[in-house]
Amino acid sequence: MTDQANLERGYRRLLAWYPRAFRRENGQEILAVLMAGAPDGQHRPGPAESADLIRSGLWMRLRPSVPRSAARTVRAAVRLMYAGAAVTTVTLIISVISVAFIGRSASTLRLAGRSQPFPVAMTVGIVGGLIVIALWLWMARANGQGRNWARILSTVLLSLATLELISVFSGAQNVLGLIFWAPTWLVGLAAVWLLWRPDSSAFFNPQAAVRGLRGKSARPAGCGPACAGRASHG
Amino acid sequence: MILTALADGSQHGYGIITDVQEISGGRVRLRPGTLYTALDRLRADELIGVDREEIVDGRLRRYYRLTPAGTRRLGAEAARLQAHATAALTRLNLAGGMAT
Repeated sequence: MTDQANLERGYRRLLAWYPRAFRRENGQEILAVLMAGAPDGQHRPGPAESADLIRSGLWMRLRPSVPRSAARTVRAAVRLMYAGAAVTTVTLIISVISVAFIGRSASTLRLAGRSQPFPVAMTVGIVGGLIVIALWLWMARANGQGRNWARILSTVLLSLATLELISVFSGAQNVLGLIFWAPTWLVGLAAVWLLWRPDSSAFFNPQAAVRGLRGKSARPAGCGPACAGRASHG
Repeated sequence: MILTALADGSQHGYGIITDVQEISGGRVRLRPGTLYTALDRLRADELIGVDREEIVDGRLRRYYRLTPAGTRRLGAEAARLQAHATAALTRLNLAGGMAT
């Protein structure tokens, strides 16, 4: 295989870091620019350009993808969800470091009210934290794309987090846990509150909003709130 | 700097990279990953658009151009930078005058 073919194969492999839709739209063009900029005799991507493509590809996958038509309340909610993911990441790192230092001498740790062997408790804690971070990112993305199921699922997840927070709050020995999880829960509460604002509802259910407006404009004089209710639901 | 590269006509991706390098006197060397992240954002903000596409040596070459909004943004940014530069030069001249 020639140097050119090897180089192109290497670049194609790096372009896999980008989302499929972006690759379909821009992949051939980026590849042409990469090949045009490569000096003669180069047979594989250099470390700096590899790092650049990986970083850009990851950014394209994780960046907030909120359409311009989205209400300001939805944009704010999505930003809060990304902030929630960041807060959870920091909380997880601090928790792991603290537990590793404090619990080094202990053979067991209390997790969800039960004593667990130290390695098991650590693994469960880390995996649980990573799942929460993934949920934040997933919800941010899906809500930003106007998926109504994501708004409902976000509300359900907040309810579960509220129950978890209450159980943490009821345990007097878990003040540290409360300090860690309360900020995350508050971020979630603010995000869900924003998702259910009237402007957000118009973004998630544009047809219902249009029907509601039509119903309002067509409503005869003397027609009460019941008419408005029928218009917005039917 | 990408908007400046497109100020006097449409350019393709590699052309923008070489132009930005020339404009900056060799200080800025855009890498393709960074360039296309920026181009994607500028297209989403409707500051640039696709002018045309060509196939050269079997490879896709897409030309970008400034939109009217992009031209206005570049003009406003250039005027702002010029005002800062003028203010800085005026004050330096004043300081020089006082020193002599």
